[in-house]
Parts: sequence; C-alpha cells; structure tokens
Amino acid sequence: MSRPRIAIIQFPGVNCEAESARALERAGLSAEVVRWTQSPDTLSRFDGFLLPGGWSYQDRVRAGALAAKLPLVEALAQQAALGRPVLGICNGAQVLVEAGLVPGEGSIDVALARNRMPSRTGYLSRWVICRIEPSNCVFTRAIPAGTRIPMPIAHGEGRFISGKRGAMARLVEAGQVPLRYVGPDGEPSDDYPYNPNAAESAAAALCNAAGNVLAMMPHPERVIYAGAMARDIGDPWARVQDEAHAHAFGALADAPAMALFRGLASHFQEA
Amino acid sequence: MAASIKPVAQAFIALRAHDPEAVSAIHAAQRHLPEGAGLTRLRRWRLVELRGALPERAEVEDLLHRSTQFYNPSKEKCTVRRHEEDAVPVVPDEQVLLVTERGGERRPSAERWWRHETGERVEVREGLVWGLTFADGTDAARAAESLALATSRDCGLFANPHAQSCKLTEGAPPLGWLAGRTGVLRPRRKGRVR
Repeated sequence: MSRPRIAIIQFPGVNCEAESARALERAGLSAEVVRWTQSPDTLSRFDGFLLPGGWSYQDRVRAGALAAKLPLVEALAQQAALGRPVLGICNGAQVLVEAGLVPGEGSIDVALARNRMPSRTGYLSRWVICRIEPSNCVFTRAIPAGTRIPMPIAHGEGRFISGKRGAMARLVEAGQVPLRYVGPDGEPSDDYPYNPNAAESAAAALCNAAGNVLAMMPHPERVIYAGAMARDIGDPWARVQDEAHAHAFGALADAPAMALFRGLASHFQEA
Repeated sequence: MAASIKPVAQAFIALRAHDPEAVSAIHAAQRHLPEGAGLTRLRRWRLVELRGALPERAEVEDLLHRSTQFYNPSKEKCTVRRHEEDAVPVVPDEQVLLVTERGGERRPSAERWWRHETGERVEVREGLVWGLTFADGTDAARAAESLALATSRDCGLFANPHAQSCKLTEGAPPLGWLAGRTGVLRPRRKGRVR
C-alpha cells in the first residue's frame, strides 16, 4: 500500500518545512512541499495537509492574515470540508484561525492575539508542557487523555482568545481544545510561564468540530527525537533525555511530541 | 469630565521608505477581497497619543525625537499634532481606520521614560492607522468599513474583532482618538459559513 501523501504548504516566509517533512516521513507518511505559487488544484492530489511554522508574509498586517486570503487556502478549506486532515503549527495555526478553519467552518471565531506576559508583550521562545485533552481530533485521539508532552513554543502572536464571553470554555467542553498548557501539578494553568502567552482556558491548540483540522502553537516537529529535548524542562523528560544519550542511537528514539505525527499515521491506517 | 480637558498630542509615524505592510495589504485586498477592488491607495502610520501635562508642539517633537520609545528618526518620519488645527498627514477624502490591540493600547515604558525626562505623568497610547483611498464612484465609507473587521476569509482584513478594536473616520481624526469613542466599528455581518 502506498504511503499517504501529505502536502506541506509553504507560504513566503515559512521556515519549518524541512523539519515538518522529516517528522511526517518518520511517521511513515510521504511529505511534499507545495508552494503558494502552485495551482490550488494541486491540493486534490494529497491525503492530508500541514501548514508549517515561520512568518508568512513577514506577519504583515497580522500573523496569518494575508496568507489566509489566498486561493490556495480556499482550496485547502474545500479539502478540509471533505474530511482530509489539516495540521497548522504556529504560523500555520495563525493562518487556519484567520481563514476561519478553526474552530468553525468559515467564520473567524477566535484570534491568536499578541502574547501577554507579566512585564511585557511580544515574542517568546521557551519550553512548555501541554496536556492531551479528551477530543475526537484525528491528531490526538490515539494518545491517552492526560498525557503530558513537552514542546517548544516560539511566537509573538499565540494567545488564543475569543471576543465572545465564555466561548473558549465552551470549546473546551466540546472537546475542541485538544492541547492545554499545564503547570507542574499537571493541571491547566493561567500562570506565566506555564501558560506562556496568557491564552484563554490555557488553550495551546484548537480543532474544528469534526476533529480533522488542528491549529497548534507549540512546535512538535522540532522535538521528534528524545535527544532534542532540553534538560531544563525537568523530570521525567530530562531523565529520558539523559538515558537516551547514554545508549547508542538512543537519542534518536521518539520524543513524546512524535505521538502527534504517529496519531495522523494511525488515522490513515484506520481509514 | 476632567479627562477630556487634559492636553493631548498626536504623533503620526510613518516609514520613510515604501511601507511593505501597506504594499502587501493593498495587494491582498485588491486581488482577494470583493470590497477591496476599488482601493487605489493604502498608507499606514503608527499613531501615538500622549495625554497629560504637555508642552507645546516643538518641545513635544523634540522629546519624541530623543527616545526610541517612540520612533526611529533614521527610518521613520513623525508628524506631531498638538492642536486640532495643526496639520496631519491624512487628506480630506481619505478613509482613516484606527486599529488597536484590545487592552494593549497603553505604553508603560514610554510613560516611564517621559516622566523620567520631564517629571510629568502622561498617558501614552498607541495604535495603527490605515489611510484608504478608493476609486471615484466607490462608496468609500462603506468599502472601508467592510475591509476593517475580518469576519471570514473573504470579508475584512485589517483587524480581528476577537482581539482588536477599530475606529473609522474620514479625513483628519479627532485629537484624543485612541481614548475616545469616535467612529467605533462593530462586526455587522456574520461571517460566511461554508
């Protein structure tokens, strides 16, 4: 059986396409970069889609706002409506939000606003711990709820927020927040630095109601190997990293974040 | 109200070079948004407003010029308006759209700098101003309003209403616009559901 084909959609300014392809290939999927200049019809050849991180159009106007207007994204919306999986990471998540592909199906229902931290706003790069929440999201449903996954974040506009009172809490209830920032006690946190950008409901990711479109701010593709985890994220992961380095090729073992890509692969196996 | 009688100064800050954000935004609006088809010119300024015990315009200009809290004179130009009758860089028939981060308009570090330099407490707010000019025959106010708030892929561009606020006026905006209520826009049209 041929491997499912995933299109990595590259807008000008996107810079995480190589590591995204590596993560997909490691999960047994076939990855191919599709650039914004290619015909929107190209997308119909693929089984799934990944919008990687970076700075599409230099974040002009607002992160993701300009890419979201492209005909290629209109074609992506049509593919998403057919149930094909779409993963947006960081800038890719910003495009999906601005295109109205999460959490709804066309209207813009949330924002990824500028980060808010205790003494400043703007860009932040650090490790966070995310917890898998009960959800029908195709990328996370194979991972046991409650699993904690360390991942790096690196963004200036990553604060999930809705202008409608209680909307984010309703999305949590509906299972459309499959990843949440948690503190040392493993519970969702509103406190910096565990919740690094003051996201409402500690949301690190949002999916659509059907579960096939996921917009996430952390970067799982940057930490697919155990050896890529940082020591300063603490135990148990620092210990895993130490043990991985102690064995030949141990550092190349899966890191926890790889589970998201393997989740996508298992979705295709089920289908 | 006491707040309304405090002196206000406005600084319109623009890049000296062509503004890449405006170039990209007008391209996206003209090509991909129905209401952007009649857009013929797009300009952008950072708008900084100071409110409090302020000196006259020349001294405000000097203070703004001295600190990178406000702008970089090597790559930006700054037009200061201290009174309603002072000149502004917008033209009379230009639709002027103000976008602010909701709850994020204040600039505490600039306020601290001003107090350190002058001994006076002022409020400093900042937003982004877009100047939109449309082709003759276009209902400019309506087109600008449609472009202001992004509600779906094919409607709106300049602000995401879940995190940002918009105000729209034609020609010179009022002094104290950032803290005022003139021209506040709210989403009117439910985004298209596909």
